[in-house]
Order: sequence, then C-alpha cells, then structure tokens
Amino acid sequence: MRALYKATLLSAVLAAAPLALPGAAQAEDSVVLPNLSYRTGPFAATGIPLMNGQRDYIAMINARDGGLNGVKLDYQECETGYDTAKGVECYEKLKSSSAVTQPWSTGITLQVLPKTNVDKIPLLAPGYGFSAMQDGKTFQWAYNPPASYWDGADMILKNISGGNLDSLKGKKIVLLHLDAPYGKEPIPLLENLGQKHGFTVVPIPVGVKEMQNQSAQWLQIRREKPDFVLMWGWGAMNAGAITEAVKTKYPMDQFVGIWWSGFDGDLKLVGDQGKGYRSISWSYPNSEAPVMKDIKKYVVDAGQSLINQAEGEFDSVFYQRGAMISMILVEGLRVAQDHFNTKVVSADQLRWGLENMKLDDARLKALGAEGMLPPFATTCADHTGHSGAWMLQWNGTKFEKSSDLLQADRGEIDGLVEKAAKDYAAANQPWPASECKM
Amino acid sequence: MLYRIAGQYKTSYAADHALFPVRQDAWLLGVILLFAFVVFPLTASDFTYQALLIPVLIYSLAALGLNILTGYAGQLSLGTGAFMGVGAYACYKLVSLFPEMNLLVAIALSGFFSAAVGVAFGLPSLRIKGFYLAIATLAAQFFLVWLFQKWRWLTNDNASVAIQVPNIDMFGITVAGPNARSITQYFFVLCVVCLMTWLSINITRGRIGRIWKSVRDMDIAAELVGINLMKAKLSAFFVSSYIVGVAGALFVFLWRGAAEANLFDIPLSFRVLFIAIIGGLGSILGNYLGAILIVALPVIINTVPAAIGITISPSMVEHLNTMSIGALIIGFLIVEPAGLARFWAVIREKLILWPFPH
Repeated sequence: MRALYKATLLSAVLAAAPLALPGAAQAEDSVVLPNLSYRTGPFAATGIPLMNGQRDYIAMINARDGGLNGVKLDYQECETGYDTAKGVECYEKLKSSSAVTQPWSTGITLQVLPKTNVDKIPLLAPGYGFSAMQDGKTFQWAYNPPASYWDGADMILKNISGGNLDSLKGKKIVLLHLDAPYGKEPIPLLENLGQKHGFTVVPIPVGVKEMQNQSAQWLQIRREKPDFVLMWGWGAMNAGAITEAVKTKYPMDQFVGIWWSGFDGDLKLVGDQGKGYRSISWSYPNSEAPVMKDIKKYVVDAGQSLINQAEGEFDSVFYQRGAMISMILVEGLRVAQDHFNTKVVSADQLRWGLENMKLDDARLKALGAEGMLPPFATTCADHTGHSGAWMLQWNGTKFEKSSDLLQADRGEIDGLVEKAAKDYAAANQPWPASECKM
Repeated sequence: MLYRIAGQYKTSYAADHALFPVRQDAWLLGVILLFAFVVFPLTASDFTYQALLIPVLIYSLAALGLNILTGYAGQLSLGTGAFMGVGAYACYKLVSLFPEMNLLVAIALSGFFSAAVGVAFGLPSLRIKGFYLAIATLAAQFFLVWLFQKWRWLTNDNASVAIQVPNIDMFGITVAGPNARSITQYFFVLCVVCLMTWLSINITRGRIGRIWKSVRDMDIAAELVGINLMKAKLSAFFVSSYIVGVAGALFVFLWRGAAEANLFDIPLSFRVLFIAIIGGLGSILGNYLGAILIVALPVIINTVPAAIGITISPSMVEHLNTMSIGALIIGFLIVEPAGLARFWAVIREKLILWPFPH
C-alpha cells in the first residue's frame, strides 16, 4: 500500500511540473516586445526577411542608444509557422509579460482580437489584420498603421485607372487571392467600388494547398481575359503566381500586387521577364538612409544579424519594411514614455502611445527614415493613420517607385469601416466602445 | 504488488461484469479524476489551460468519436475534420438564431446535425469497405470544407468568412467568448468529455458494441448470425459523428473562439486519426494517451530548452520538436504496434504478476 502512495505522490509531482513552466519573469528595466514569427512553414520565405528587419531595428536601438531612453527593448520571437493554434498558444504563453502583440497573420488576429479588451494588451498589425481596425472607437486595443487593405485596394485602383475610377467602366478585374481571411479582406470594397464605377470583379481563390501550382487559376484567368489582375498573395503563393503569369505570358504591366506581394526574392526568380510588375507599398527601401546605415553598422557588420547578405536581403523591400514596423512600434513606446514620464512602459501606456503617434516629415527625418515611410499620425478614433503608399515597379533587378504618394479615397472606405465595426461589435456583445473624447 | 489481485473474489455475475473487475483500476481512475477536477484547476495557469488541458480533452473526444467508427465498427474514415466542422457551424447557427438557448443544449443539439451528415456520408459503407470507404469519406471532407467556405449564411455573412464566438452566459457565468475565464471553459469541457466517455464506454461494452465488433471482425459472419449490417454500420456512423460533432462544437466554442473553414481541412482529420491510431484502435483509454502524445507533448517540449537555460532560436526549437515527435511516434509504434493503450495493458499485466513473473 505504501508503494502505491509513493507512486501517486511521484506522479503528482511529475504531472504538476509542466504546469508551473510558463510565464518568464520580467526584468525591471526592460520592455518585452514579443513577435509571433514564422521562420518555418509555407510562408517562411516572406516571413524571414520581415522578422529579420524587425529584430535588427530593435537590436540597433539597443546597441546604438543602449535601449530606448535607457530601457532595454527585449525582442522575443515565438514560432507559429502561420498556424493559428500555435499563434494562440504563443499569445497565452507571452501575455503575462508582454507589452504588445504582433500576430503576423490575419487568422491569428481574428482569434486574439476579442481577447484584447480582456487582457488589455495592444495588438499591432502594421499593414495587415482587419481593415475595420481603423475604427478606434470600436477596436480600442488594435492598431494597423500606416495603411489598411482597403486603403491599399483603393490606391491600386486609383493608380491603374490613372486617377479616375470611372475610366475602369466596363473593365474586368480579377482578384487572385489567398483563400484565407487575409485574401478575402479586399472583396467587399472592390465589389462596392465595382458597382459604383461599373467594372466587374472576379475573385479567384488560391487554396493554401495549391499555392505552388496555380495552373487551374491561371487557366481561368486566361479564359476570363481580365484587364487587370490584382493579387492578395503571401508566401509561396506570390512566387507561384508570378512564375505562372510569366509562363502564360500574361502582360506584367496589368498585374498588380498588394504590399505583401512585392517580395524581391519572388521576382528575382523571373528576373527580366517580371519587368513591369507593380506592387503598392507603404514603405520604400533605401539602404543609404541614416537608419539603415546604423543598422548596417551596429547589427549587420557586428555579426548580430541573421540576414543572408549574399542574396542581397539587406536591400530588399521586406527587410527594410520589417525595420520600419519596429520603428513604428518603438515610436509608440517613445511617445508613451514622454507622456507618462516613465521609463518602463506598460501595455496600457503603450496603447496611448500608439494612438498618439505623429510621424511627420520632421520626425521621420530625425529618425533617419526620410522617404522610407510616408508621414502619418494616429488618433484615438483613427488607428490606421492612412499614410498613403507608393506604387513600386519591378525593373528587372529591383523595385523602383513608379508613382507619387497615392492617397485612398476615404468616402467609400469609411462607410464600410463603420459598418464592419458595428457588425463586429454587435456579433460580440457585450463589446465595450470608447467615446474618444480627448 | 501494486496490482495484486489476490483476494478480490467475484461472487456474482454483476461483480464479474463490473466496469472495474480489478479494484486498483478504479483507484487509478479516481486519482486521475482527482487530478483533473481538483489538482489541475488549483495549479494551472491560463497558458496551461489553453495550450495543454483544454486541447487535449477536446482532441481526445474527437479521437474517441473516430475510434468508435474505425476501432470498434471497423469503418475507416478520413472525414473527421469536416464532421467536427459541421458540429461547430451548427452550434454557431443555433447560438446566433436562438441567443437564449443554453450553450450545453446547443452543443448537444449540434451533435445531431453532424450525426445526420455522418450517416449520409456513411451510406456508401453498405457497399464498399476499407480503402474504398476511406475515399468516400474523403469526398465528405472536400465537399464540406468547400461548403463552409461558399455558403455565406453559415457564417452570418461575416466579411472574413469566419465564425466568431460571442460571449455566452450560462447561469450567470460566462462560459464562452472572449470574456470567459479559462477555468470555467476547462470545467465545461471536462464535464462534457467525462459524460461522453462514460456513455461511450457503456455503449461499446454492451450489446451495440458487440454488434459493431462482430461487424468489424467479419461482416459476412455477422450477417449470417442475424445482425442487420445496415443498422450496425449506420448506427456506428451516427454515434461516431455525434461525438465528433460535439467535439467540433467544443473545439470552436470552448477553445479556439474563432474559426475559418480551412481549420477543418484534412490536416485536422489526419491529426485526429493519428491520435486514434497511436493511442490504439478499439480502445477508449488510447484516445487520451494519444492526445497527450500528439497534442500536449510538443507544447511541453517547446518549453524545455528555455526551462533548462539553453538559448536556441524559436524556429530551431520548432524544427527539433517536429523531429523528436516524429521519432517518438515511430519509436512507440515499433515497440507496440497496437498503440499506447495496448502498451499500458502490457504494463498492467506485468504489474499484476510482479514481483513473481513466471
């Protein structure tokens, strides 16, 4: 009988051991900035440069300035492989110590968003997540600066129509999109605009399993004979679509991608044949900008970076966009530090910082990122900031700016945002709403 | 020693047919239940609930459903993920159409939708067997996931074509949705899983269970002794899909909180099938052991390097994890091809004889 008790006791200890594991202690003078990264899985190719950029910007701040006003920035990655279940697992693991959540997937955003009101951790999804997150009165804890997908869709249409959407009348536009919440985001706006301006929108989904082989989708595109193909693609889907477009000789200057479909690596695969492909982007790589020079000096040349220098990753759009994303986050932290006159910013204070950012030309110049990011400012009611974006075009070896700064037409978008936010709040009652009286 | 059965006499048929003919088994179960109901809730963190306890319970339940079909009635199915989806979408529609409905009732009802769909896709089992039937259920998998994506009514015209769980109260306590506490969700899931397990144990060891087993072992012989094959096979599909549907509703409402159609795609079916196979086909206990191995172990392994102070990059941990889980699965199946449940049965046999093996 005693042996039985002993065994029971032992199994009790063994069973309880893993329960006590998570929840790392937080150092006094550091801010934990976790990132739900994916360096594995089907989207790793596009994930890695972005995450390297985020990581290196923060490493540069720590190395150059000894942290932000003396506070060390503790950048932590938690690997999700773009898997929603793993993302939620990471969120639960990190939420006790983290100041921010960077979900890196619209699917994970979907899961975490309702919890933000409860756990009170701001969610930062620069250039992704729901377009409706713009509405700060409904989504008090979610931020998607500097531009949303609906902004992006509108700006693309503006650019391809030459500034006047009515000139698209009678045209046919195919939306080649990833069959996931992310890819479906622009559909409501495109359909509304299509009805208003008289063009037809044909959404063609690409399942995650068929990303690499899109012959069926491109056969359909050939049959539809669209005037333009817009792409909401990600990871291996971009490369698949671009190579397939080259193969079927689809005119590249009629093929336009959202900012996540403008990855240098995908276009290098086709080189000159990809000439003319465009991608809207709210960031522009400039390796000569002071901020990038600092990253090179303090992180890359010091051997602290994970980037693949032989492949020219440093000059790529995505790497430098990753750096810009961290810059936005650090700017939010700085604003919060100033306002609350504190050093270690809490999640609650960072929320205030993120909605009171003012990245104007002077501030961007001071940060050494002039021309890499369009100026924008967030407010309590507007969590996106609407920086606008540039159209980048592939010239055979790299992306170049092919337009001035474009701005989305607010009229159609704001109405949709209001409706989507209202629907979201109604479906998730009781949902707290903020008045935004400042 | 531990499992000494000397002195435990059975003096009646009832005692001989008892659920636990050996007293120690009952004690062991008691200890496990004590842990599940008292010790874990006292010690667990939010992370433990969300990443370990709740998913293990829900995956066990899904595997239990599949095991009834595949392990007990011998009908191979690759459509588990889609049937879970039917349960989840049915529960979502019930909750949004009748907001006053008790969540427990909604979950119990949603199982019937999944059961009906399961029976419909089980009809080919009357004509085909084995791999051919697996292909037929694969059709269910593809069709249903496609339907979840295209039929906007199912998601209440959600812009992202996803379902999101609202806050749901039951007797004044929030049990589902973002405001629900993990411990409430855990107890909810635990109670449902315990109830389902108890029902399954009693179904599988009773008359219906014996009918299923005879169909599994040799359907022609079963037919010759007077078993109605159609009833037997379809009832297996019904019960199995019901349990799988309930697991699907729990999966979304008590754990994930939101779901898109892709979630119910083939990888989920395979995951549940792996749990059932590695745990042991034709056993109830195996589902739990399999779920612990497939669902919980990767999470625990992930935290090991950090806990013992080794700093390796998270992506490296992920790679190592995938490799070690793969190696473990192969290792276990080589040691005991009939699954973890059989592994435990062998250990138990040895314990009964120990320390005097002959």
